[in-house]
Amino acid sequence: MNKKSRFVAVDILLLAGAILPLVACMVLKILTAPPTEGIEITGALIYFTLPTPLQPLPITEAQVNSVAVVIAILFICLYFTHGLTVRPHLKRQVIAEWIVEKCKNMVHTNMGERFMGFAPFIAAIMGLSALSSLLSLLGLFPPTSDMNIVAGWAILVFTLITFYKFKAGPIQYLKSYAEPVPFLAPMNIISEIATPVSMAFRHYGNILSGSIISVLIAAALGGLSNLVLGWLPGILGEFPFLRIGIPAVLSLYFDIFSGLLQAFIFATLTMMYISGGYPAEAVAKRLARREAKKQAKTAKQAEK
Amino acid sequence: MQTLEIISVNLWQILISLANLLLIFLILKKFLFKPVQKMLDKRQGEVDAQYASAQQAAADAAADKALWAEKLQGADDEADARLKAADTTARAHGDRIVADAKTRAEEILRRAEADAALEKTKAEAAIKEEIVVVSTELAQKMLEREVNAADHKQLIDAFLGEIGGADE
Repeated sequence: MNKKSRFVAVDILLLAGAILPLVACMVLKILTAPPTEGIEITGALIYFTLPTPLQPLPITEAQVNSVAVVIAILFICLYFTHGLTVRPHLKRQVIAEWIVEKCKNMVHTNMGERFMGFAPFIAAIMGLSALSSLLSLLGLFPPTSDMNIVAGWAILVFTLITFYKFKAGPIQYLKSYAEPVPFLAPMNIISEIATPVSMAFRHYGNILSGSIISVLIAAALGGLSNLVLGWLPGILGEFPFLRIGIPAVLSLYFDIFSGLLQAFIFATLTMMYISGGYPAEAVAKRLARREAKKQAKTAKQAEK
Repeated sequence: MQTLEIISVNLWQILISLANLLLIFLILKKFLFKPVQKMLDKRQGEVDAQYASAQQAAADAAADKALWAEKLQGADDEADARLKAADTTARAHGDRIVADAKTRAEEILRRAEADAALEKTKAEAAIKEEIVVVSTELAQKMLEREVNAADHKQLIDAFLGEIGGADE
């Protein structure tokens, strides 16, 4: 019994660890958000600015919220893996196993056996992106509608793509730009750079445009309500009745569906670009060449 | 309070976000994938062990079955052999008993015959004696005179011998 109550206590602590950061963000937002009037589309709130070299670093809502998401994910993981048993009796274990298996399957079908180590990375992209976008459901600023956040992920993905392309050797890497014909090299370079830029802008633009459209529609509905129902006496005439219900349906699409879809697209593109850019044949050739060289060397030494 | 421009690029924010993604990757790897994978492997191991033991059990059962079938076959043969042996011994026994009985019966018969013959000869002798006595008395009465017994006996003996010879 004591053991069981301790188990439940740990569960509650872990869940609190997952929920409290988000609640703290909400409280912070409520306390600091300036009252808005009419249609206003702005970036994230700046809490304070750190004087860092090169460029001052403003600590914004997006920063705070993404840190909150990181902490929440950490505690969700801990909660899911709390009390794992060989024969699962907890629902959360089934969910955790489902997530792991699903991610591994996805990575296996999209990237192949060689990239199985990417499963947690893909899961990280999806989890971080989806949770960040879903923060808008809590009335928080979704970090994914800040370009810097998504750009950071895209740059990391670009680094990985380049890293795996480099595996075939620097000469092979440079050569790949001159294919299929050398004079296309500028186009190749542009498309290479366009990859992270397009990834970042796609994700960021989708989430941000969702928010903007929501705000615009809310404002439009308010105006329409005023126009149509303005003849009602007193406060009834001022109350925007048309704003009830319709934005919720739109939010279903813009906040939930679009957020999850963008997370999925970002993860899929990551898998495609990394495994698609990996020159498997050239790498195999290079390794074979190295092996031959090594053998020749050892043979020479043996002769001596 | 200030807000950021909608499109603003900040190097540090980009780096922080990059680090966040890496951090999440490490968190998921260490706190979700590793323990779950460990558990899955463990379960796989258990399942494999179960399958192996089940297979072992099935193989054992099959071996047992074959063994017992063989033994059963052997038992059948043995039973047949024993039955046959018992049959032959019983038959031999019976034959012997029958033979014994036959010989004993023959013995009894022979003895009976011998007894009968002895009786017969005894009876013959007694009858002879009787006849001798009777005829002697008859003769004495008929002749009414003293007859030499010895002579008489001789005479009758000769006579009876003649009869016996005719009888036989």
